Amino acid sequence: MSRQVEIRELYRQRPRSRFLRWSSAALAVLAIASWFSGELGTDDLFSARRLANLERFVGELVPYPLQGEAFDAGVAFRWARDLMAEKGWAAAGKTLALSVAAIVLAAFGALVLAPAAARTFASPEPYLPGPRPPGPLRRTSWKAVVWGGRALLILFRSMPEYVLAFLLLAMLGPTAWPVVLALAIHNSGILGKLTAEIVENLDPKPMAALRGLGARRPQIVVFGLYPLVFPRFLLFFFYRWETCVREATVLGMLGVVSLGYWIVDARARNHYDEMFALILVGAAIVVLGDLVSILTRELVRRFG
Amino acid sequence: MWLPSLASVWSESAWLRAWRSGIGWRGLVIGALAVAGLWAAVVLDLDPRDLVPGPGGLAQGKEFLSRAFKPALTYEADFVPEGTQPLPFKVLKAVRTTVIFAAAAISLAVLGGLILGSLASTAWWFEDPAGGSTRLRRVFLRSVAPVVYGGTRVLISLMRSVHELLWAVLFLAAFGLSNFAAVIAIAIPYTGTLAKVFAEILDESPREAAAALRAAGASPAQVFLFGLLPQALPDISAYAFYRFECALRSSAVLGFFGYPTLGYYLAASFENLHFGEVWTYLYALIALVLVVDWWSGALRRRFVA
Repeated sequence: MSRQVEIRELYRQRPRSRFLRWSSAALAVLAIASWFSGELGTDDLFSARRLANLERFVGELVPYPLQGEAFDAGVAFRWARDLMAEKGWAAAGKTLALSVAAIVLAAFGALVLAPAAARTFASPEPYLPGPRPPGPLRRTSWKAVVWGGRALLILFRSMPEYVLAFLLLAMLGPTAWPVVLALAIHNSGILGKLTAEIVENLDPKPMAALRGLGARRPQIVVFGLYPLVFPRFLLFFFYRWETCVREATVLGMLGVVSLGYWIVDARARNHYDEMFALILVGAAIVVLGDLVSILTRELVRRFG
Repeated sequence: MWLPSLASVWSESAWLRAWRSGIGWRGLVIGALAVAGLWAAVVLDLDPRDLVPGPGGLAQGKEFLSRAFKPALTYEADFVPEGTQPLPFKVLKAVRTTVIFAAAAISLAVLGGLILGSLASTAWWFEDPAGGSTRLRRVFLRSVAPVVYGGTRVLISLMRSVHELLWAVLFLAAFGLSNFAAVIAIAIPYTGTLAKVFAEILDESPREAAAALRAAGASPAQVFLFGLLPQALPDISAYAFYRFECALRSSAVLGFFGYPTLGYYLAASFENLHFGEVWTYLYALIALVLVVDWWSGALRRRFVA
């Protein structure tokens, strides 16, 4: 076989997929069509009126005591310190607390729902064959459990947190619950799906051993699945916590006193300097959360 | 006298035995998370009794949930002006705008993500085995490259750390209501996320082809374009698809700030207590997300192991 033929053979064997190509092409066509749809008003953004608006806005981003003055680091520092003392620190703490409460609840939800959505566990005879093959009724009912569990998880994660919080707020009134629950529901959908995938990929032998010793389903879950799932679950837990921090900042806009609340409040009062500073505080919290999450995930990877 | 006895008590204690038997670190983590959860509950005044809605909230909640199986197909308002388009058309129009915002944003984000992602990938600029063939290139690799690399990393993390809704609020204040500004608001954090993940994908893809090209005398740009990028492309497009799904959700939520996407009509119907219409919009949103979720899931199952 000549070199040419060999190369052609390799070329033919390269990994490729018609599905991926068509999908990418479809997305590209959709993107181009969206720009030509006439909905976006691309030329309008740089009209003279908007640019004048922008110039005024940029001027107002400077802390109020410094507007039209020479820059003075002392004045700027005192302004920032007062802003933080008045609302910044408390709001930052609440934002963090929202994300922590939400992710802990989401973890509970995910750990309860995941076994039901895992095909290996939610079957008539999990991990070991029973004395008799299961009848058609038992097989279909366990299939129904899996599909029900999956449908619930998909429904949970397809709802944006903001919409959920908006709807819950009307029912539960202005406590922190609507935001916590909205974040928890959305993230238990995501964590639950990921955990169910971990459960399905587990080595079945430990669970088979437990079942062989006479363990019932709840015991298999608590003493078999949870300990085995734990390290990888923690990775996903912290990865989702990162996004919870981001979302918690924003969900404050609905009225819970997190950073988002003070940001829209400052905007409503046209205090753009304050709005900008608080957005920066939000960014700092997100960066901090990312760092903590990266660090813990590395620890889990190393020792878990 | 009591010190050694304390030590012996400790060494006999069930805690230490638990620690030695290997459940220690798991217990520690769970304990820490429980403490964190309690702290959060205290800070937020989370009272389980507040979970029971008041009489008004309960009535509204019941009415809202009872409409779940009866989404509206026509307007619920008592007075509908002559010539208003039927509700299904309005829903479809909202869906169309939502998709347009998301697709336009993701196209900007993929372009930006590819550029920033390749600058933030270590795979091609720090891997010149000769350490640069000419003096000029050596100087470049030691001085300019680390600055560009570090600067890109910082830029990516800044773009990511401000949520798209906060960008939208900023742009609303800066430009007023402009659809193009909304698209850019979504595109900025998405560019950051895509760039970060693209860089990781590039760094993790196999390097043999790149090394072969380099040995054959290809320039770093050639190595990148023909040695690294083709292998990473399937993963990159699968991930871009997943982000498109997220962009749909973001675009729908932007409606709450006055842009003509699903969130706008959803909020308006909810505030008018037209719960049937709310469900129609909710189902439209869920259907939209599910289709793309299925699509991107199918792609990832095929490519990303």
